[in-house]
Amino acid sequence: MNKKGAILGIVVISIIIGIAAFASSPSETYDLDMARTHGDISTAMGSPILGNPLAPITIVEFGDYQCHQCYNWFHNTKPMIMRDYIETGKANLVFVDFAFLGKDSPKASQATYCADDQGKYWEYHNSLYTSQESKIDSGWANSERLKAFAFNLDLDMALFNQCLDSEKYSKRIQYNSQQARDNGVRGTPGFFIVGPDDQKQIAGAQPFSVFQRIMDSMV
Amino acid sequence: MIKITKLVFQNFKFLFLSMIIFSSMMVVLLIISEYIFLEPYFVTHIPSGTEFGFFLITAISALSALVIPMNLFRIINLKSSKQKMSGSIVGSIVGSVAGACSCGPVGFAVISTFGSVGATATAFLTNYETPLRIIAIAILIITFFTTIKSLKIECKINFQS
Repeated sequence: MNKKGAILGIVVISIIIGIAAFASSPSETYDLDMARTHGDISTAMGSPILGNPLAPITIVEFGDYQCHQCYNWFHNTKPMIMRDYIETGKANLVFVDFAFLGKDSPKASQATYCADDQGKYWEYHNSLYTSQESKIDSGWANSERLKAFAFNLDLDMALFNQCLDSEKYSKRIQYNSQQARDNGVRGTPGFFIVGPDDQKQIAGAQPFSVFQRIMDSMV
Repeated sequence: MIKITKLVFQNFKFLFLSMIIFSSMMVVLLIISEYIFLEPYFVTHIPSGTEFGFFLITAISALSALVIPMNLFRIINLKSSKQKMSGSIVGSIVGSVAGACSCGPVGFAVISTFGSVGATATAFLTNYETPLRIIAIAILIITFFTTIKSLKIECKINFQS
């Protein structure tokens, strides 16, 4: 009888804890265009569009803020794409989080959307890839550092901290990572070049010449 | 040292094996480390800031191609023990595994398969890629010199007997 009572007690306590956890989890409501897609990819939960939204080509980048190959691409290839395609209105870019490398990866991705709440998504995104350190989960992207990056961008810290600490965007990151898996991305960075008629996949931090060849064939 | 090296590699079988080891290791490691891409086009590049990594891969491939055939020569021709062979194998494996994971398909597969344990292993191999490759090079260099030394002794004994 005592044994049964103990088991029943554990079950009841577990249910109460579960309900309490569910009730206290932050509700996630964002003002997003859930119908936004590029080719076969749902980019609704991804970044704001960088560049001309009406550009004929969209580059969809799947990335992790702790990935050093993403860092390489950001510093070696992206500047040339910005100069020749995005700033000229020939293409635009959407970043979709594929946060799988370490425990700080999803938090870093969430922080970018907290910055987006204040209209500074791309500034924050750039500061993460500029400040990336070579070691995964070494602390360079922990909560304190993420808040420091926000402070450096003159964001409203009360709003940012509340957003980050409440994990407001955790499900958004999960959705984006699932998009990566669903579209056959098997590592970061992974790209889809979506043109007017077709889309092509590029795996890895490939050089500018590859992007140039594909995009020129689409225009 | 040069005499001993010549002695091994004047045999075409060992020279061929050496070339196979060097080219296959080099190509595989360069693909894994994203210096070579096969799709959508074949392309090679060395992004700025990754030159040292390229040098380490070349050194590991070259040393493996030197040390593994020399040890096989010892085992096959001189009927020696396989003990020193393990140094060359360990050095090659450590050098290959370091940095093989990271954020590419190998890392993704490891993390997807083994979950948090895979993520920890991947993070370790990525974080310590350069020191691990340097350790691998050190192991291969030590194995090279001990192999030369033992070949000198064993060949002398064999020639005398």
